[in-house]
Amino acid sequence: MNRNRQTEILGGIITAIILILLIFLSNVEVNKLSYLESVASSIVSPIQRVFADLRNKIEGNSTYFSNMDNITKENEELKKRNSELETELRELEKIKADNATLQSYMNLTQKYSSYNTIPAYVINRDVSNFSSTLVLNVGSKDGVKENMTVIADKGLVGHVISVTENTSKVQVIIDSASTVSCTISTTNESIICKGTLENNQVLRASYIPTGAELIQGDSVYTSGIGGIYPKGIIIGTVKEIITTSNITDRYAIVEPVVDFSKVDTVLLILDN
Amino acid sequence: MRKFSIIIFLILAFFIIYFLQENVFNAFTISGIKPNLFIIYILFIGLFANQFVGISFGVICGLILDLLYGKAIGVSAIMLCAIGYLGSYFDKNFSKENKITIIFMVVGATLIFEFGTYFINSIILEFDREYFNFIRIVLIEIIYNVLLSIILYPLFQKLGYLVDRNFKKNNILTRYF
Repeated sequence: MNRNRQTEILGGIITAIILILLIFLSNVEVNKLSYLESVASSIVSPIQRVFADLRNKIEGNSTYFSNMDNITKENEELKKRNSELETELRELEKIKADNATLQSYMNLTQKYSSYNTIPAYVINRDVSNFSSTLVLNVGSKDGVKENMTVIADKGLVGHVISVTENTSKVQVIIDSASTVSCTISTTNESIICKGTLENNQVLRASYIPTGAELIQGDSVYTSGIGGIYPKGIIIGTVKEIITTSNITDRYAIVEPVVDFSKVDTVLLILDN
Repeated sequence: MRKFSIIIFLILAFFIIYFLQENVFNAFTISGIKPNLFIIYILFIGLFANQFVGISFGVICGLILDLLYGKAIGVSAIMLCAIGYLGSYFDKNFSKENKITIIFMVVGATLIFEFGTYFINSIILEFDREYFNFIRIVLIEIIYNVLLSIILYPLFQKLGYLVDRNFKKNNILTRYF
């Protein structure tokens, strides 16, 4: 029984290690694996330090126990000073974070000054793997209504799908159920950008007119068709054009300008 | 009284899972895929408490999730209700003593929940189904859920039998023999 318990705990530990490794390796780029070097050195260095100290003592260079009383007193003072500094640092960090939020609100409002907007902060992100929604800290009492457009510093984020008194839920354009009518900057042709499950950081642009000449790097803007999004808000750039045997089926991968995993300050356009 | 305190504990567990899912697992992903602890949570309640508690918790938690994130209200509620029922069905037909059966239960519950949610949503919201990508995501999510349930298995057992003793009328042994 005891042995079974031990095996169970061991199994749990091994699984946890496998899980951590999986998370680590699936998220870290290969060229960043030099982390492993630092991990290895952090394992070896404490032992190495002990050996180095021993060697120093043998060679008569150690001054470690020379003035113990003074060191203890100094240590006490330093600890006290350290805690004071830590408190100050925490206060400063809070002020810095508040400042950054206010700054980003101001920058956004200035950039989109032609629209009547209200700033908002992302308070929740979807936990599902199949949808992408954000919850904002503004609601009906701030004047938010359904279908309002949400933009971030760099471009389009999505639109409001439901509102409570204090919060509003936003469907992000990379959501697999989202569709946006867009235009390509160079040719002015209309296309449809949809969210895809293939990669939750890109959009799939389909219904490309057969005569349209798409170029990698073309900017994609909202077309204003559809009644939700106003015209001329940047969505992203064409990353790749996938040609199929039938030209009517060809599609493009559009990379949004907004990083949706990091966006935390947005603007809601009040008068679409 | 004990039943009441267990219910309070289960409600607290929901909030802990919610904050873990929102703050920890949104960052710790496997190839961008997050686990779904709510499935494991409702399966656990259905398995160790009774059918009524499993289904009720499934509906309530599902509704909360729908209200918080859902694009169509009621989809997660229906599917988590099904998982609560599935837990009690598994309890009647399989042993909870074995880690392997627990793993298969988690695999089954994750498959049913995600398939159900995705297909109901695709009908309501009328979006194109991407079968290949869907299967890829579900498989990774299943692996993540299974790994987490293996790690949490000792906790499941301890808490599970505490819940079991207070919600089941029959002694555990008499139910198996």
